[in-house]
Amino acid sequence: MRPPVPRAVFRPRVVSPSSESSASIESTTTSLEGTPGAKKNPRTPKTFSTNPNIRMAAAMTAEQNKVHNEALSVVDSLITESSATQEETARLCAGLILDGQLPVLQRQLHTDFLKIPMTFQLPPTFTGLDASKPWLMYWPLHALGILDPDSRTDDIFSRIGPSVMACLDEKEGGFGGGNGQTAHLAATYASLNALAMSGDKQVWAQINRRKLYKWLMSVKRPDGGFSMHVGGEEDVRAVYCALASAALMNIITPELVEGTAEWVSRCQTYEGGIGGAPCNEAHGGYAFCGLAALCILGNPVEMIPKYLDVDGFVQWLSARQYQPEGGFSGRTNKLVDGCYSWWVGGCWSILEGALPGITAKDVLWSKADLQKYILFCCQSSRGGLRDKPGKSSDFYHSCYALSGLSEVQHRYSFNPKLRVAKPGEYSFMWTSELESPDIVIIDEQNIVGPLNPVHVLPAGVGERMHDFYASFEMLEL
Amino acid sequence: MPLAYLDYTWDDIVPIPQDDGGDSPLAPIAYQDDYKTAMEYLRAVMSVEEFSDRALQLTADLIFMNPAHYTVWAYRARLLLALKKDLEQELIWIEEVGEQFPKNYQIWNHREVIVDKYDNPIRELPFIEVMLELDSKNYHVWSYRQWVVRRFDLWITELDYTDRMIENDVRNNSAWNHRYFAMFGKAEDVARTAIDDEIDYAKTAILKAPQNASAWNYLLGVLKHSNRSLSEIEDFCNDLATLPTTEPSTDIDMDQITSARALEVLADIYASRHEVEKAAQAWTLLAEKYDPIRENYWKFKKDQTIQRFAATA
Repeated sequence: MRPPVPRAVFRPRVVSPSSESSASIESTTTSLEGTPGAKKNPRTPKTFSTNPNIRMAAAMTAEQNKVHNEALSVVDSLITESSATQEETARLCAGLILDGQLPVLQRQLHTDFLKIPMTFQLPPTFTGLDASKPWLMYWPLHALGILDPDSRTDDIFSRIGPSVMACLDEKEGGFGGGNGQTAHLAATYASLNALAMSGDKQVWAQINRRKLYKWLMSVKRPDGGFSMHVGGEEDVRAVYCALASAALMNIITPELVEGTAEWVSRCQTYEGGIGGAPCNEAHGGYAFCGLAALCILGNPVEMIPKYLDVDGFVQWLSARQYQPEGGFSGRTNKLVDGCYSWWVGGCWSILEGALPGITAKDVLWSKADLQKYILFCCQSSRGGLRDKPGKSSDFYHSCYALSGLSEVQHRYSFNPKLRVAKPGEYSFMWTSELESPDIVIIDEQNIVGPLNPVHVLPAGVGERMHDFYASFEMLEL
Repeated sequence: MPLAYLDYTWDDIVPIPQDDGGDSPLAPIAYQDDYKTAMEYLRAVMSVEEFSDRALQLTADLIFMNPAHYTVWAYRARLLLALKKDLEQELIWIEEVGEQFPKNYQIWNHREVIVDKYDNPIRELPFIEVMLELDSKNYHVWSYRQWVVRRFDLWITELDYTDRMIENDVRNNSAWNHRYFAMFGKAEDVARTAIDDEIDYAKTAILKAPQNASAWNYLLGVLKHSNRSLSEIEDFCNDLATLPTTEPSTDIDMDQITSARALEVLADIYASRHEVEKAAQAWTLLAEKYDPIRENYWKFKKDQTIQRFAATA
């Protein structure tokens, strides 16, 4: 028998977003250092093999792992709104970062936080995410998948299928943001990713792929892009969500992707990054979506230089890392935010893995500094990870900050020999290994698992779902 | 807030309860009763594709309870057009929603649908301006502004508008991006004199805050778009970053460098002229002193150039 429906409404320990204001920042650090639970029980999931090269954090002073905690040497005297908020953020972060040390990843605390949607009813304040139900499943499930996979019980896995299928828009064929809602590409992406993690083949077999394909074609635009839903906005997120979904379902056809790489290429701006649509401002989230989309459309070794000005892209990406914070910003002159640890960091993973000629043998950015930002500045004392000091943790930031930590700890490679090179297979040809201690020193108890850098799923999960559908005869679409 | 949709008769409608799937769904939300009930009516009217005034009012009430509800917005757009509603009234209503929920982005796609049909941009730029006053870097508002400019051919005001925004905050990158759009977004050739003006504009902005990446990116973007050479700004860069003639000094003032970006551009100029040693010196300074968090990138640029030069020499 399944346990009874959880009725309790979750009441967070820190209720108001403003209550984690700067005043409580210091206590946040203290509790990171001193939370007894995690220190007593630093649990490294057995799933991840440990690497003999990993040293403890005490060795952080090694030359190769130097971090940049000091302020930039040249700062303009002119003060504007942008520089004032930047200075404030830099000050807040610098106040949390301790030289030569790294805090422990509060695994148990974050696990407890991430299990809230699987254990409690979410409080009424979550009504604003009522059109994002599949995301409320995907974010914590993925985060737990790399943080503490053993915490996801069979009971949880068995509840994913029905919960996601309740979001299916049976009329259109895609998934909506909740029960009875219109099919939407972002919701479909999150739904399929959650289903992939369920491993539930009975549910996989229920999805009408032909209908899903027809819906994807109905949101395809003549210019090569995609709309989020019928009559919805066209942007590069939609492109990524459509292609990632189609790759998982093994329904990529030449018609579906016609003109799409060219459309993504048009989104690269004069700054070198990628905007949401042609002429829009370069932005870390869209940059990842555009780059990952190219990695689904074909062999990334060929696709990336063919459709992007790689030098410009790398220059812009490199400028996203800020000193002294160590984290990434999403746009020029905007502030660092924990979620870009993935959106920008994920771009680095892909470039490093697909274009070793571009990135040579080394990493072109500072993994040690990003690790510092995530562990010192993004961990919340109530569990979960956050945008920056002073903000509350949430499932979105937990998902992408932890994915960023995974990116710090692992080195990804695109391996064209893994599978037969054909459309629909390219995004499943990634391997990973633990990063060399010459690049970044990782504390053994902080290790999180590797992921698929194109699908943003724990490694192997998307591959299994794709192969399930690939084992059938090709659909006549 | 009183819910106006309840002023209509709903006796003929059987509300459809939410089915979150299974007996123990993930991520259930403890909704307020008002929202839960309104959603039950919404599912009921949508399931029969009802196009009525009461359904329209229901969408308005729901949007105030959850403005991110894209399904409700899309249904509302269809209702407005099917019922031939006064679109100007709708635009006024959207403005209320926008000002109450400034971070909401679903309104922009909705407004685009309505304005496209209304075929008149009279309310658009003033409303956008109000929204950008609330958040001068709101991505969706700037993106919507681009749509309005293109759709109604309103290019003429845009340089002045970005100038005002840049005047307020020279680091507002969204405003710079929009300026680039205003210059080059139209598929037309731009006169050389206009390009010269933009180069001067960006240089003036850089002199106010030499580390400002937004103005630098714009300057370099304009040059590249116009196929103009980087060496055109070599003197300008030299004024902001003079390479030391001897070993790098530990005293910053001795280096006379007020802009790391000027140093970066100089390195590229030197590399393009095969002056590898000077380029390498600039990258070393960046790595060691002026932008050290990007040390790996500067080393990569240096190594790449040295290798390239060795291969061609």
